[in-house]
Amino acid sequence: MIRHWPARAAAVAATLLSLTACSVGTPSGGPSTSVATVPELAPDQKVSITFESYNLSTAGPWTDTFNELLDNFRKQHPNITVTAQKPGGASANGVNNSMSSLQSEVAAGNPPTVAQEIFGDLDFMVDKLHAHAYDDLFGRNAVQANFGGAHPFADTAKPLGDVKGKTYGVPFVFSTPVLYYNASLFRAAGLDPANPPANWDQVKTAAQAIKSHTGKDGVYIDCLTKVSGDWCYQALVASNGGSVLSGDGSKLTFADAPAVEAVGMARDLVGSGVMPQLTQTQAFPQFAAGNIGMFLESSSLQGNFVKGAADGHWDLAAATMPQFGSKPAAPTNSGAALFVTASDPAQQRAGWELVKYLTGDEAYSIIARKIGYLPLRTGLVDDPNSSLASWVAQNPLVRPNLDQLKRLHPWLAFPGDNYVQIRNGMLEAVEKSVFQNADPNATLTAAQQQASALMPAK
Amino acid sequence: MIETRRPRQQWIGHVVLGLLSIACIFPIYWMYATSFRRPADVGAASLVPWPLSVQGYRDAAHIIDIGGLLLNTFTVAGLTAAGQLLTSLFAAYALTRWRFRGQQLAYLLFVGTWLVPFQVTMLPNYIVIVQLGLLNTLAGVIVPMLCSVLGVMMLRQHLQAFPRELLEAATMDGRSSWATLWTVVVPNLRAPLASLAILLFITSWNEYFWPAMVLRHSRSVIQLGLEGFFSPEGTDWSALMAAAGLACLPVFALYLVLQRQIVSAFVRSGIR
Repeated sequence: MIRHWPARAAAVAATLLSLTACSVGTPSGGPSTSVATVPELAPDQKVSITFESYNLSTAGPWTDTFNELLDNFRKQHPNITVTAQKPGGASANGVNNSMSSLQSEVAAGNPPTVAQEIFGDLDFMVDKLHAHAYDDLFGRNAVQANFGGAHPFADTAKPLGDVKGKTYGVPFVFSTPVLYYNASLFRAAGLDPANPPANWDQVKTAAQAIKSHTGKDGVYIDCLTKVSGDWCYQALVASNGGSVLSGDGSKLTFADAPAVEAVGMARDLVGSGVMPQLTQTQAFPQFAAGNIGMFLESSSLQGNFVKGAADGHWDLAAATMPQFGSKPAAPTNSGAALFVTASDPAQQRAGWELVKYLTGDEAYSIIARKIGYLPLRTGLVDDPNSSLASWVAQNPLVRPNLDQLKRLHPWLAFPGDNYVQIRNGMLEAVEKSVFQNADPNATLTAAQQQASALMPAK
Repeated sequence: MIETRRPRQQWIGHVVLGLLSIACIFPIYWMYATSFRRPADVGAASLVPWPLSVQGYRDAAHIIDIGGLLLNTFTVAGLTAAGQLLTSLFAAYALTRWRFRGQQLAYLLFVGTWLVPFQVTMLPNYIVIVQLGLLNTLAGVIVPMLCSVLGVMMLRQHLQAFPRELLEAATMDGRSSWATLWTVVVPNLRAPLASLAILLFITSWNEYFWPAMVLRHSRSVIQLGLEGFFSPEGTDWSALMAAAGLACLPVFALYLVLQRQIVSAFVRSGIR
């Protein structure tokens, strides 16, 4: 018993300090340091696991598709009980809640068994949340074997969740930037829909023709705002020969000449009146309603556009991402990987079974058809016995996305604790340059100087 | 001079109030107007939705379980308000019925919790909820919200003005403190208790952040159900407005039935 109030106060203060330290310090789950792999489940061993996915934040086809996948998994693994949950948090966009939710769960000592996190969070997952390396838990051979099978993963997709030679995240769902265009507006503007623009100069010319002949907006690039995120913006910079981060990840390079030129190109589209000053939320329905000629966007929007085109009686078409002059385009990936975040070996093993199912042939056949994400097991598309082959034959819109998968550039994750602030600072500078007519060189340079102070010490 | 200015001032006052009323009511009107537009017309700027369509309501009912979510929300708001009312009554009674050392300090500690933003207590609350096994349950939303500082302050003010003679008479009659609370105090505080209950219910009905932290499945509360209409594919505005319109109806109904008490609750909480 502590009888005196100063002693009581000290005890309370110590408790509060401990609680604070727990909530911001090392997660109670702890890192995996073992080298022995996790044992297999016994045939009659019952395990309960949780799966957290931001896709479950959206009602309708996204949640329905994931529920279908999990129902199928439960039938195939009756000893594993999966509880699916969305990330907790106040944002209406589940992706924005994803990392803060996981941090809270780790602090509380109840991380989900399997978490779906975006590639932009990869470094933070490994460095700060001590995500487990699949190679350590299940052996490198087993991890690589999962990438193989009858329809192996695309070579470019396999290493997207790797850090320092180990797989921490198994790539799950993603897209590449696709140039969707309104073939009906092309015809009305005297353009040939069979020959969509291949580079940004041609995009501008086509956009001007659409504007002058139809009065509709020419083009919208959904890669230039904080809301759109940086995955697609990185594709623009990389297509012009640049990068937002140095090769060793130690230095920011988003104000280098290739990035400034890429932003300048977009600024010119706005300045010449062929790209409308719309937010992402405003631009989606405008394109779906047939009021914009071209739209650079993730294929996960395809369902929305197909419906819009059918309702508005216009023809939707798709092409690969335009390039800068003769430089080959460098499409990046959007999307997320699956991480095993539980500490209990039985849950880890059960979680691995779930990851294998969700990244298997059956799951990709369902995801590609119902959501529009890429089937990372690309062989499915050419296998006549696969349900996906006939679907792709009837839906040629998916082809540009598949073609771009072959020359994919990884979406780079900014390092350190302040990676979100760095990313937002960069995108705010891009947005200001493109939509508020600020000088790209000066704006990006100032943002880079500010963000450099947020980079982790070497 | 004064007599000629008064009607004009009144007229200006009415115009200003009228404009403010329109500014307040218009977003609600627009919500219902949008909910009755055809999905293809959802971006239309016409004041009157025409042709009328109930497709938004059909879509909303198809996408989320509106009835189940409203029932859950009603349960959460009702139990939270009831719990807050009870704890507020006990605390206010204790703070005013007896004189004891640290009485003022205890009250100031209650009031002081108002200075701590929710973001600060969020994570400790979350950890406690996890340890109690209440994550993903309606109880997890209710339990940390069972004490309301607003309730304690309001009832304390009312109890301070309560005639002490009545309490002393009850004591002389041989009634215990517990019996005095329920047979003397509560019947005489019916009006402020009713007003406070309504305020607490509406506040709990509108709460979004904490339920969003605790509830992770689709069968949760209506506030989170509405969230499901936002997606990276774009927002289904007509279904969202239909669901939001339905979510408002219980509170509107409550307001229509208990209008006098609600106005009284807002006014009294400010001037006493």
